[in-house]
Amino acid sequence: MNEQLAESIFLCRPFQPGEPVLNRVLVMGGDQTGLELANRLGREGLEVLLVGNEAGAQVSESVKVMAGSVLEEVHGFVGRFEAVLRTAGERSRERVGFIVAAQPAEIVPKYDAYGLSKTPRVMALSDLESMQRFGDSVEPRRGDWFHAAFLLGLQGESEPTEFARVLKAIQRLQNEERVQCYVFTRNLKVAASGLERLYRESREQGTVFFKFDTDGSAFEDGPEEFLMTFKDPLLGLEMELAPDLLVVDERLNPPRSLGPLVDAIPSSRAASPFLKHDSTRFAGVETAKAGILAVGPSRGVFDAETIAGDIEAVVLAVKKHIPDSLNSALAGPPEIDPARCTICLTCVRLCPHGAISFHKRAEADPASCVRCGICAVECPMQAIRLEPPAGEEDLIERIRRGLSNTGEGAKRIVAFLCARSAAQALESVGMPIRRKITPIIVPCAGTIDPGHILAAMEEGAQAVLAAGCYKGNCASVYGTVLAAERTNQARHALQEAGIDPDLVMFASVAGNTPATLVQTIRHLEAAVDRAFAKNK
Amino acid sequence: MHKKVAIIGGGIAGLWSAWELARQGIDSTVVERSAFLGGHVAGFACKATDRCRRCGACLLEDVLQNVTKSDRISSLLRAEVFKIEKTNGGFDLTVSQKPQRIFPEKCTDCGDCEANCPVPGALVRSPLTNQLSVDEEVCLFYKDGSCRACLEACTAGAVKLDGAVQDIQLNPSAVILATGFKPFDPTNKPRFGYGRIPGVVAAPELDSMLRRDNWPGDRRMRSIAFIQCVGSRDAKIGRNYCSRVCCGYAMRLARLLKYRFPEVEPSMFYMDIQTYDRDFDRRLAEAAREVRLVRAIPSEVRLGPDGSPEVIYHGPEDHRLSESFDMVVLSVGISPHAADLFGALAGLSYNRDGFLGADGEGVTTGQEGVFVAGTTQGPRSISETVSHAISAAAAVSSYLGNSR
Repeated sequence: MNEQLAESIFLCRPFQPGEPVLNRVLVMGGDQTGLELANRLGREGLEVLLVGNEAGAQVSESVKVMAGSVLEEVHGFVGRFEAVLRTAGERSRERVGFIVAAQPAEIVPKYDAYGLSKTPRVMALSDLESMQRFGDSVEPRRGDWFHAAFLLGLQGESEPTEFARVLKAIQRLQNEERVQCYVFTRNLKVAASGLERLYRESREQGTVFFKFDTDGSAFEDGPEEFLMTFKDPLLGLEMELAPDLLVVDERLNPPRSLGPLVDAIPSSRAASPFLKHDSTRFAGVETAKAGILAVGPSRGVFDAETIAGDIEAVVLAVKKHIPDSLNSALAGPPEIDPARCTICLTCVRLCPHGAISFHKRAEADPASCVRCGICAVECPMQAIRLEPPAGEEDLIERIRRGLSNTGEGAKRIVAFLCARSAAQALESVGMPIRRKITPIIVPCAGTIDPGHILAAMEEGAQAVLAAGCYKGNCASVYGTVLAAERTNQARHALQEAGIDPDLVMFASVAGNTPATLVQTIRHLEAAVDRAFAKNK
Repeated sequence: MHKKVAIIGGGIAGLWSAWELARQGIDSTVVERSAFLGGHVAGFACKATDRCRRCGACLLEDVLQNVTKSDRISSLLRAEVFKIEKTNGGFDLTVSQKPQRIFPEKCTDCGDCEANCPVPGALVRSPLTNQLSVDEEVCLFYKDGSCRACLEACTAGAVKLDGAVQDIQLNPSAVILATGFKPFDPTNKPRFGYGRIPGVVAAPELDSMLRRDNWPGDRRMRSIAFIQCVGSRDAKIGRNYCSRVCCGYAMRLARLLKYRFPEVEPSMFYMDIQTYDRDFDRRLAEAAREVRLVRAIPSEVRLGPDGSPEVIYHGPEDHRLSESFDMVVLSVGISPHAADLFGALAGLSYNRDGFLGADGEGVTTGQEGVFVAGTTQGPRSISETVSHAISAAAAVSSYLGNSR
């Protein structure tokens, strides 16, 4: 991972001085979606640069179409991005406030998966659609009837949006007389509005559906005819079909032109090939970095109807232009001590939100920083302070206070709890259990430091719990993974010192699973008892 | 009480819309019929195994935290809208609110009221915050005044049984309808034996068992059958649509069971497995190693000779098979219910499946200034609901011509 990151770091430039340009948006388009989005933003009175669209498209006057331009690099932060564009060999730099990835999906026919290739009788769904759009007639029929077979998700699951396209293509074919259509599939994807109804109508109009659990059909492209042989999955009979037309389905992939945006959000490599993390914590069109938004295919949504809603969400995000700060109650972004910072770039590399740049020293952008604190813990020079937790002294003071208030007969357990998960769970835990621990609430489990865990033990804690989100759910992408690793480091250190490592543990606790938190606390109590018994 | 937007329904869709509006500087009032915010999601278990399975249930805690902190959002609990009228440039809403019965700021959670209450279900708890409330439908005090046990038991003075229903007027400039869905009632498919045969449960019931950690974990709970499409893709009973979420829901439940209780052997009877995540090929292969997939919708569930449910289905090549299970879980679909609540109120339009609004994924309702968010408009998952709620908030913000 680090080697991959290294190449993008040196593209990270210092802050550009000057006023933020919150009214300029760069839209990465390529089809109708980009065009609609650009015009929609234009109507909001924003200035739009639309990249990757054919020249001559109908746009409103505040939209500048940069046909044939390619985005090469992105630097900076929300309100002050610098986009490096290449247009016919010329490089230009544009200052924009927001960047939206609204490129179309990459459509790849599945010829290879079926061992087929394109012939006049075998074509991809998009080919058939464009023939139908231009009124071209498909290959003439050989017999009285025209037989068309569609492959749909026989290899690799399909998407509802593809099934809708297949049904529409069948409808158009059936405008002619004596047409018989067949669909060869595994799982029909009807999970979209009105699609089940369309499917039933198609069946009533005579379309035959074969649903396979295993291989499906064998193909033989002979000089006379194209032959399909298969076993009818319902009746178990060997069947043969010689279609006049075989339509191959397509894979929908996220656009390939996301590279420069991925570079601008180092943590989004984990989301590859998409721009947006799969974690449910990134709602709607938001990515891990403020000001970079993902619409449709780049965030994993291929349904045109949903993309229309995405466009509205982008308008909202741009109008809002106050980055989501769940920790708005906190003070400012991390302070980086110039005397200590050696520009080692650890923070730049590890900030999940791409919020740090460097010039003479590292600097965090207040509008992009979500105050997760991962940078502060990772800084080898301890040059970064985040308020709160206000540094080591304050933390130890809180641990000390908590431990001194521990009730009679209770175990002295210090629990570092992530504000986005375990701390939420604690709120639903009954008082008797709550009194068993000294909670230290941290903005993200990624801020838990092995040093803090050991310090808690030194201050007299009998056991320490570190609790964060589940892997794949962290609001700071990998904070929880870092926390688990660091807890392990602390366990090793204890083991070296001859102390039972089971007195320190990491647990994943979701905000809605107080029971898991209770179990974990009881588990630690038992570990304390065991260690105590051994020492007797 | 002059707020700009009224949001009807305090589930995840309504709350998320409110939060997005608040971030735009737009005030809103959330009107919630039950005693607690959170809707269906409040009762869902986290489906994480060794890692997050992306069910989205935890998003509710996030949004609730934001909503309670925001001074732009107020909420009316135990409140129902019974009139919406369009006025010049806005709406008149008449809301009737039942008074609060148990005050959390005084309640010490000692449990004395529950210990003394003679009627099960008269005192209800939020699955989320554990807060208490009284269900007037069940409580004897409201039936005939015969019981004041909880009031007498409470030493903290947190219980108040008297107090009348209040009418509240709201005059919002826009309305978001986010009343959500009804789970399909499986008694409408009698052949699956729900309510008749022991061991047949609806999927949300299994979910809340797992949430409350009371899985009957013993050796007699090994083979679990999930039956998909109960109340979905069934034109005969007027459910001519796919509920979209049940495949993912059942798959996650089955995998969670398997993870927590490795002795469990889940089977899933299905028509077509619907994609519910990115990279679905890999996930499906992963799931198929833990869950036995049977392509058949059973014709019947009957009482087996040993008292456990027996599933009758047609296997490949049309053989009639019967198989006995320790538990049969019915994956009940998403049914609309906005029409029950609003009917023809305010000139709203419904789509052919009975959901509010048009086909597709839009947020409009046919009535200017009234928008729809989440499962009120059609079946969708938690994270799709959140996306939809954001789009609804965006549409409201544009409608109000909000420029700051």
